[in-house]
Order: sequence, then structure tokens, then C-alpha cells
Amino acid sequence: MDCPEPLHLVVPATLLDARAATERVVKLCGRFDTEERARYGTAVMEWLVNVVKHSYCHAAGARITIHALVGPDAIELMVEDTGLGMAPWKFDAAPSEVLFDQTDIASLPESGMGLAIIKSVMDSVHYQTEHGINRLTAVRRWER
Amino acid sequence: MLLEDVPEGDCLVVSLKEKRLDAVIAASFREALVERIDQGQRNIVLDMTDVNFMDSSGLGAVVFILKHLGHKGRLHICGVTPGVMAVLRLTRMDRVLKTFETRQAAVAA
Repeated sequence: MDCPEPLHLVVPATLLDARAATERVVKLCGRFDTEERARYGTAVMEWLVNVVKHSYCHAAGARITIHALVGPDAIELMVEDTGLGMAPWKFDAAPSEVLFDQTDIASLPESGMGLAIIKSVMDSVHYQTEHGINRLTAVRRWER
Repeated sequence: MLLEDVPEGDCLVVSLKEKRLDAVIAASFREALVERIDQGQRNIVLDMTDVNFMDSSGLGAVVFILKHLGHKGRLHICGVTPGVMAVLRLTRMDRVLKTFETRQAAVAA
């Protein structure tokens, strides 16, 4: 089966550019149905927004590098930034599902759901920070 | 960001005329809805027919509105597209947010 060409983007670290980059990546996911494409797109957007807001703190001139590789069995995504990053242990410790008490409306989360979404959508996800480069690598198989 | 307000019965139907409820517009969306609630609107029907993508920032804004209404009013959601429902299910918020198949059902409930 023919696979789309790899995608390589270097984009400004803004929310608008995160949105546009997410759309570019999701276009590679024609093998997913509508709902799976939405879940995957949300996971990608979550990480890019995380980089814009928390790694770069909206710094002007900052850039995000995005690689997406479509293979016969999976799509692999790599996102790099050179911002503050986060401690890898903190990434690893984040829950892999959004947790809340559904009987207590006041306790529902309004933020902090991003990492759980990423971990629940991707089949494998790895985050590292090395030599000033923060790198997220995430693999999602076409079939689960 | 474009919102369209239509009073129906004792509700204000607010239609979000955007394809994406995401981090780009979440804050302004939240503020716009809070403004309506603070002006006295207690029963909000959010029509998401045009929205095919929502991230956690957008979802967080909806949750904020639900919490802001508290016990003073109600938030019903209609026009939930498959893309939005996928994220509601992923986060299990489909168990908390009240969604309806049609606008009429959301207003009447």
C-alpha cells in the first residue's frame, strides 16, 4: 500500500500555527474513521498547545519542529521544541485517562487533560529532553 | 469567533458558528458565554452543529460554563458531531454533559 510522503514542518509557536499544523498532520490520517481522526487530531493539538503555552510561554520567535511519518501499520509523530520543556518524570507520571468524580460537578477538570488525552490516544508515547531539545515521539497504529 | 443567539422558550440557544472549538478561541468563547449568564440567561442550549473539532481547551471552556451555571440554571448541548462526540467519550465527559440529538429536544428538556 502506498503511504503519503513524510511531513516535515517548522512552524512558529503560536496557537494559530498549532491549529494549522494539526490539520496538516491529520490530513495524513485518511485510514482512520471520522471519530478516530478527531481523537488523533485532538492529541496532536494537545501537545502543540502544551509546547506553545508551557514550554515556550508564548515567546515570540519560537519554533516547533514536527515530523510525521506514515507507515503501513502506524503513523509516527515527532515534535521538538527548545523551550523550557518539562521534567520527563512528570510526563511519565501523568495519568493515561481523564479522572474525575462525575457526581461532583464542582470538581470537574477545566484544564490539565492534555497529557491524559495524548496517552490514551497513542499506542506508545515517549518524551525526553536532551541538550536543550525537548522531543515527544508518539506512535499510533492504524488498527488496534 | 462567531456566536448566534436565538431565544427559544425559556432558553437561549447559542450556536457556535466555527469549525473548531479549540485553544485558539476557547477563552473568548468562555467569556462570551459567561457574559450571557451574568446578564441573566440561566438556561443555555449550546448548538455545536458547525463544530467538527474540539480539544481540551474547548472542552474546558464548556465545563467552565457548566460550573458557572451551577444549580442556577442548565446547560444542554445539541448538534454534537462525531468529531466532538469522540472527544467527549475519550474524556468521559459524555457522562456529565447533557447532549441531545436535536435542538428542539434540548430546548424542551
